[in-house]
Amino acid sequence: MTRVIRRYAFSAAHVLARGDWSDERNRAVYGKCANPSGHGHNYRIELTLENAPDAGAQLDAVVRERVLDDLDGRFLNRETRGFARLVPTAENIARHIWDTLSPAVAPARLACVRLVETSNNSVEYFGSEPAP
Amino acid sequence: MLITRRLEFSASYRDRKGATHGHNWVLEVTLDGPVDAETGMVIDLKDLKDVMEREIEARFDHRSLNDDTPHFRERPPTPETFAELCFALLDAALPEGLLHRVRLSPTDDLTIEVAR
Repeated sequence: MTRVIRRYAFSAAHVLARGDWSDERNRAVYGKCANPSGHGHNYRIELTLENAPDAGAQLDAVVRERVLDDLDGRFLNRETRGFARLVPTAENIARHIWDTLSPAVAPARLACVRLVETSNNSVEYFGSEPAP
Repeated sequence: MLITRRLEFSASYRDRKGATHGHNWVLEVTLDGPVDAETGMVIDLKDLKDVMEREIEARFDHRSLNDDTPHFRERPPTPETFAELCFALLDAALPEGLLHRVRLSPTDDLTIEVAR
């Protein structure tokens, strides 16, 4: 099995808080990430693809159009449809990227979305497959 | 979903030949669990950070693994045995089955991985 790993980056602001919860509950669950003013990260995306012999320019265009143009430079909660209601945790952003790209990269198969939020934390999502 | 948190700390150890080594160790702790539908998180990263600080940093940071901890009286400290110890300490402190793997790097050029 040959896999291609391609890396992208975007910067975005977010708040971790649910609109249907009180400020107190959001603070209790999400801590300082619940600050309503928002804070930002320089996110890195690592996509792992299988059956992608010629993934270069075509993949870049799909990722640019469907993910980076949507998320880069935005306040995720206020300026994207994907996170108008969904809390933009790293887990939810990784899953959003998976759900957006997975149908769009055929005939390649998306095997993993890794989202690096800071130098100290990251998540990896494998769709319905168990983590290897 | 895998979630990984990184911790850096400094510790020394004496090998079997009596030479003392010191490193800035980098420990990457990876959990595997479902995303909670209500919070959108596998675990509160603050909780994971607290466990890593209590189980690893508080025990080992700026210590000698041989002289300042009770863990290496039966077997010598090596990157491998230290990584296995980190896995065991974290596995016992975290909710059952959540720990997926640890990666422990004494230097940029060497990483030990312990998985379930």
